[in-house]
Amino acid sequence: MKRSASDRIGQTAIHVVLLLLCLSVIYPFLYMLAISLNVGSDAAKGGVYLWPRQFTLYNYEVVLGNVVIRHAYLITIARTIAGTVSGLLVTLLAAFGLSYRLLPARRVLLGYVLITMLFSGGLIPFYIQLFQLSLLNTFWVYIIPSAFSAWNMFVMMKFIQGIPEALLESAEMDGASAWRVLLSIVVPLSKPMLAALGLFTAVMHWNDWFAGAFFVSDQDLIPVQTFLQQLLSAQDISAVLGSNNNAEAIARGNMLSTVTLMSIKMSTVMVSAIPILCVYPFLQRYFVKGVLIGSVKG
Amino acid sequence: MLDRLYKYRWQYVMIAPAVVLLFLFSYIPMAGIQVAFKNFHIGNTMWTSPWVGLDNFAFLQDDQFWSVVKNTIYIAVLKFVFGFPAPIALALLINEVRHSGFKRFVQSVSYLPHFFSWIVVAYILQSLLTLDGGLVNQMIAGLGGQPVFFLGSTDWFRPMIVASGLWKEVGWNTILYLAAITTIDPQLYEAARVEGAGRWAQVRHITLPGILPTISIVLILSMPSLIAVGMDQIYPLMNPANQPVADVLDTYILRSGLQQGYFGMATAVGLLSSAISLLLVLITNKTSRKINGEGLW
Repeated sequence: MKRSASDRIGQTAIHVVLLLLCLSVIYPFLYMLAISLNVGSDAAKGGVYLWPRQFTLYNYEVVLGNVVIRHAYLITIARTIAGTVSGLLVTLLAAFGLSYRLLPARRVLLGYVLITMLFSGGLIPFYIQLFQLSLLNTFWVYIIPSAFSAWNMFVMMKFIQGIPEALLESAEMDGASAWRVLLSIVVPLSKPMLAALGLFTAVMHWNDWFAGAFFVSDQDLIPVQTFLQQLLSAQDISAVLGSNNNAEAIARGNMLSTVTLMSIKMSTVMVSAIPILCVYPFLQRYFVKGVLIGSVKG
Repeated sequence: MLDRLYKYRWQYVMIAPAVVLLFLFSYIPMAGIQVAFKNFHIGNTMWTSPWVGLDNFAFLQDDQFWSVVKNTIYIAVLKFVFGFPAPIALALLINEVRHSGFKRFVQSVSYLPHFFSWIVVAYILQSLLTLDGGLVNQMIAGLGGQPVFFLGSTDWFRPMIVASGLWKEVGWNTILYLAAITTIDPQLYEAARVEGAGRWAQVRHITLPGILPTISIVLILSMPSLIAVGMDQIYPLMNPANQPVADVLDTYILRSGLQQGYFGMATAVGLLSSAISLLLVLITNKTSRKINGEGLW
């Protein structure tokens, strides 16, 4: 088909707009990467836009040599694993149990879950409850309160109800217990859904800074994102290097003068973002699938 | 009856952890709303603290509170006005791209910011906008202009919030619209072309009407969270300089409750904002039943 001139102009315009959009996403990361890989005192003079002018890995050595950051990293990894496993487990079990349409009191139980999606006591009563359960300032404050997600439960339940009933019934006829049905039929058939919900839960845990900032006061318990949140408004570099935790960096004291607050900030934020950048291309399709299944209202 | 309960015993065991967790972390906090009418101090329990009537609602006469309400509504409306149509426009643009490789590339890239925390977004803004060595100010200086203190400016705060919110979520929010567009019957476009409709006419008369149901569902679902204008997004960017326009209900609750210890008063503010959210949910559901013949429940 022959295209008209106005059509070609339209196509070009659309391509330009979309390219600019992509650039606005990609460029800030390249910029931060370039700053983080440049000698800090040199970057401060300006002019580093895309490529490091005086290449160095020293900013990263300082960041990764910092005991506080390394510890925060461990907390993030631990809570992401524990939070995702427990979150999936509790949510899947509830979704499977509630997927039985003939379950006595099912409607009451569904209502019990639904009400919590519509109304909440708010932040302060939640905080008071965390206090009364002695969860404040423990690692468990990251895991236990978020182990059940009503939203994910409904998505999962709809998915399980989409599995042909004949399949489940025949297993029950053969004398399989509910646990058996769950493990040998439902779980294998739900893998894509479990993958999507698991990834959402993992990203939520990886990115959460709020719990670390307000439910925890022990610096040994904060995750990376909370560390970043504290560093965000830091006015001088001692926030990172002031503590004597940075033995390795201080041993090379003469190089410390080349590190600036900005170069440290940029390398720290890259360290927190790079894992997501690395897994993103592989997991993207699961995310998209998860949204699409989740959006189909039943 | 007992037989049936016994038959489903394992299902109840499976549901039990969720029931317990909801009881502990949703229902008890709902009962905790009584703190709004009590004099509560950490160390007391919410049950034994003395009642004080409506004393905690004194903030209703406080000018600062009303400026917080104004900020909340202002930001909520701005985010909605820009944030709601943007993904529809982007989905229409992406749909017009014929090169499928480029299409996939644009989609993948535009989803990406959704997976970064608001803290990372705050760092990006800082790296671009900060006074000392920020990219934008370097450029302004290079062109001979005066550097602007974007991060501490009351004028630039709202545009910054709206723009960064758009940047982070616009791509992600196109997913549903793009999926809806793929369900439109290609024969409709064929017929339109035969009748001489151009690209723009096809968008207006086929694509847009085709995704209208999706648009209305997204609209309805976005209503209840309208006034919850992201503590996640705003708190990291708030500082004493921009606080007059940045302070919203969520940050006000956080500051007065967790940081200053006015638990009763912060709970009362939270109760008002929960009530408004609930009201929005109920209105939304009613409207949805009228329009779609079906509610959210």
